[in-house]
Amino acid sequence: MDLKEGLRAETWAKSSLAENEMSKRISSNNPCFTDFNSQQYQQKWEDPSILDYDIRINPAFQEFNQPPQNQSSLPCDPTNQIKNPFQMNENLQTNKMQDWDPKAMLNNLSFLEQKIHELQDLVHLIVGRRSQILGRPDELVAQQQQLITADLTSIIVQLISTAGSLLPSMKHTLSAATPSMGQLGQFGGVPFPPGAGLSDSIQVQNSCAKKVSNQSNPIDLVGNSGTQQNHAVEEHDLKDEDDADDGEQLPPGSYEILQLEKEEILAPHTHFCTICGKGFKRDANLRMHMRGHGDEYKTPAALAKPHKESSSEPMLIKRYSCPYAGCKRNKDHKKFQPLKTILCVKNHYKRTHCDKSYVCSRCNTKKFSVIADLKTHEKHCGKDKWLCSCGTTFSRKDKLFGHIALFQGHTPAIPLDETIKGLAGPSDRREGNEATSKIGSTNFNFGSSVPNGTGVSDMDAKGES
Amino acid sequence: MKKQRCSEKINLFDLLSEEIVFIILDCLNTNPFDKKSFSLVCKSFYITESKHRKKLKPLRQEHLPAVLIRYSNTTHLDLSLCPRINDHSLFAISKITSFTLQSIDLSRSWGFSSSGLLSLTLSCKNLKEIDISNAVSLKDAGAAALAEAKNLEKLWMGRCKMVTDMGVGCIAVGCKNLKLISLKWCLGVGDLGVGLIAVKCKEIRSLDLSYLPITNKCLPSILKLQHLEDLILEGCFGIDDCSLAALKHRCKSLKVLDMSSCQNISHLGLSSLTSSIGGLQQLTLAHGSPVTLSIANGLKKLSMLQSIKLDGSVVTRAGLKAIGDWCVSLKELSLSKCDGVTDEGLSYVATKHRDLRKLDITCCRKISDVSITHVTSSCTGLTSLRMESCTLVPREAFVLIGQRCRFLEELDLTDNEIDDEGLKSISRCSKLSVLKLGICLNITDGGLAHVGMCCSKLKELDLYRCVGIMDSGILTIACGCPDLEMINIAYLKDITDSSLLSLSKCSRLNTFESRGCPLITSLGLAAIAVGCKQLIKLDIKWCHNINDVGMLPLAHFSQNLRQLHKILESASF
Repeated sequence: MDLKEGLRAETWAKSSLAENEMSKRISSNNPCFTDFNSQQYQQKWEDPSILDYDIRINPAFQEFNQPPQNQSSLPCDPTNQIKNPFQMNENLQTNKMQDWDPKAMLNNLSFLEQKIHELQDLVHLIVGRRSQILGRPDELVAQQQQLITADLTSIIVQLISTAGSLLPSMKHTLSAATPSMGQLGQFGGVPFPPGAGLSDSIQVQNSCAKKVSNQSNPIDLVGNSGTQQNHAVEEHDLKDEDDADDGEQLPPGSYEILQLEKEEILAPHTHFCTICGKGFKRDANLRMHMRGHGDEYKTPAALAKPHKESSSEPMLIKRYSCPYAGCKRNKDHKKFQPLKTILCVKNHYKRTHCDKSYVCSRCNTKKFSVIADLKTHEKHCGKDKWLCSCGTTFSRKDKLFGHIALFQGHTPAIPLDETIKGLAGPSDRREGNEATSKIGSTNFNFGSSVPNGTGVSDMDAKGES
Repeated sequence: MKKQRCSEKINLFDLLSEEIVFIILDCLNTNPFDKKSFSLVCKSFYITESKHRKKLKPLRQEHLPAVLIRYSNTTHLDLSLCPRINDHSLFAISKITSFTLQSIDLSRSWGFSSSGLLSLTLSCKNLKEIDISNAVSLKDAGAAALAEAKNLEKLWMGRCKMVTDMGVGCIAVGCKNLKLISLKWCLGVGDLGVGLIAVKCKEIRSLDLSYLPITNKCLPSILKLQHLEDLILEGCFGIDDCSLAALKHRCKSLKVLDMSSCQNISHLGLSSLTSSIGGLQQLTLAHGSPVTLSIANGLKKLSMLQSIKLDGSVVTRAGLKAIGDWCVSLKELSLSKCDGVTDEGLSYVATKHRDLRKLDITCCRKISDVSITHVTSSCTGLTSLRMESCTLVPREAFVLIGQRCRFLEELDLTDNEIDDEGLKSISRCSKLSVLKLGICLNITDGGLAHVGMCCSKLKELDLYRCVGIMDSGILTIACGCPDLEMINIAYLKDITDSSLLSLSKCSRLNTFESRGCPLITSLGLAAIAVGCKQLIKLDIKWCHNINDVGMLPLAHFSQNLRQLHKILESASF
């Protein structure tokens, strides 16, 4: 156990030091992501201890069902939102039985104590490391300082929330975070009880933690995003409304906010084999894959779909936040509009904050970042033949005519090919090539004054329409 | 005469201002050759005439640029005699007449494309009227070119079958001042295009939507047009009762409505339509649903109605009686080819509507002298009576027509029992200008002589297969009717060249049909060609004695000839 804890502390320290902001909450909570993360760390830190990481996961996994003292021993990273909630959930679960439980308070306090110890360890570690790494001290020192500040902030926040749990108005309608780790949605997060006082305090904690994490990781998303991407945010703000929750207006605080990080969102696979590390998009596929690793994975229990805990208590509404700072879907935005599901998060993030790398093969103009959007477009591409002079295309003629009837000065635009056909058709047939060429040359005088390019100017290869 | 005056008193003409000469020229309308003669007098006359002429109807496109430069004030250009108009011609027209041209007729021309049209519409900013009917290959691009004529007020584009809603939409947006548009047979245009016209062109007075695949959807916006007076919905099968019943708008301005061949409209739709169009003056329901009591009662509400045409419909007795009971006084009634018109019904209608000016009872085969007696006694103000193939009407009845209806200007007695007595009576109608006596086997030269002597205003005479007519009858007509413009003497076997020689004095003759007259020869035709320089249409089919000798003077003198029917029967031709 000691060894494990030490390992964990070290991992935590490393990952919080990592330039990559990929959070460790996944690494400890979700075995699938752990693998993913650890590979990165491995490259960056070249730390041999990390190689054991995968093996460590499974025991850690089992630990969740063990008594609280084990839980408290879990490394609680200040930058990590998920571990805190876990802790909290445990506490809350115990709180549920008695309205105010001194034991829970004790747990909290011991948790704090633990945290302080961990911080202590971290500082020790840093001291130990400083002698090893001499090459680039300045950068590292700055990071370490930030990390420590972050941890301290986290401890303070935790303290406040613990104090908040003493408030009499507190109610526990929350269920503990279910330890079904395969579910991406089960990452946890800070549960917000309906009670006003506590929820506020927790929210403070949550946001503080997030801010701290941003600070502690200098190369964050914000850092990556230039002005160009900011522009993109504005551009796509409207589009985001499509993903909006259909006018659903949940009062702030009545739902818990989860925020995935960029890498999680963009990860091609969300389920990873703990043995070979192979990634899968679906949990079911992973379970099918696991059968190959031994007979113990072939039991009906192992193959069964991990059923959601059908607790009698109502599930807390979960809403998601976009990790992109400044986005309207980011929880720090003053007009924050949460996203409903993980899928919404993924689509929103890809559509709004990512490059549009999928180009329609038919029109070669429309670009998409979500492949499903491309497929939807390709179904209709080329069918939008009803064109207005303002450039708007319509898939239905009556929609175009409604548009034209509504706006002054807009006129139906005749497609280019038809214009050419309409020109060449009669003259070719009746006047021969000579006439056609003359039409072209003479027409040159008039072409420039064609306002909408609906006329002959197309013949002059001006291609206005 | 002018030549003389010019040569003798040349100074006097110098004193006349150009405006006064213009007024004189305005009076030279009857014969197109008069102005030509005038312009040939001298240079100043030539210049004056070229400034005066506003309308041009050229025969060939090759000389268009030169002609347009000469007649610099041309506002109306009728190209219907130039079947081939290519884009060069249109470019030339647009360059030369860019400021003056107001109206152009391309209805019978082909060979131009949308680029030519575009140059025309872009440079001729004052263009108000375009007739581009029958441009069957015109596509939306051409329609878009038309849309550049921003001041366009009248546009005829019948049978432009390739134009779709998109093209018409361009026109609707581009030509805001449209007052008249005819989209007859534009089969590609549907509700959307027509609806957009109704939305964008608020000035529309006249709308022809015949045979368009339109449905109920565009009707509300059409009837919302404030100034719409004339609406033609002939053969619009997509319009049915349900849509008309749903109409709520009151279209006060509408005066003329044509809903012929709308098969899906019954009395229900009509009554709801008529309740929303109160001010209707002229209604055409040809080839529609049977005219029954309910339809006639539904139309009762039209208090301004003056004219109704029910051609080709089934008319019941009750329906006719109900029409007779309308409180309005009809001026025009057309029942041609209506089944079910009986003496009883027609007599009732005639006695009630005494102000009838025009009556068409063509092919009402059930009527007899009873109807004619009633019609002639009550409707004495008739100006037009068409009663082709009323075979039951006896010869005595036609005497009544001549006695009582003195104001007749048009009389169609084709395929009737009329005889010389009847003709003598009819010759009292001194205003008669159109007389059709085809297949009237009972008439002879004697009867026709009365007509020739009395009806000096006669312009059209049809003697098709009147086998009793010979040279003397034609001679009296030729002498008595100098204004004769059209005569048909087809299959009159006894007609010889002498008739043609006498007819050659009718200088205004433009249509001459002598099909199947075996006795006429090239000599007679040459006389016609020399005398009737305005000849446009000539039918000499089955005239076996006409050969090249007759064709040569025809080619030389009849410069206006457009249509010639002649069977190629000899090697010489």
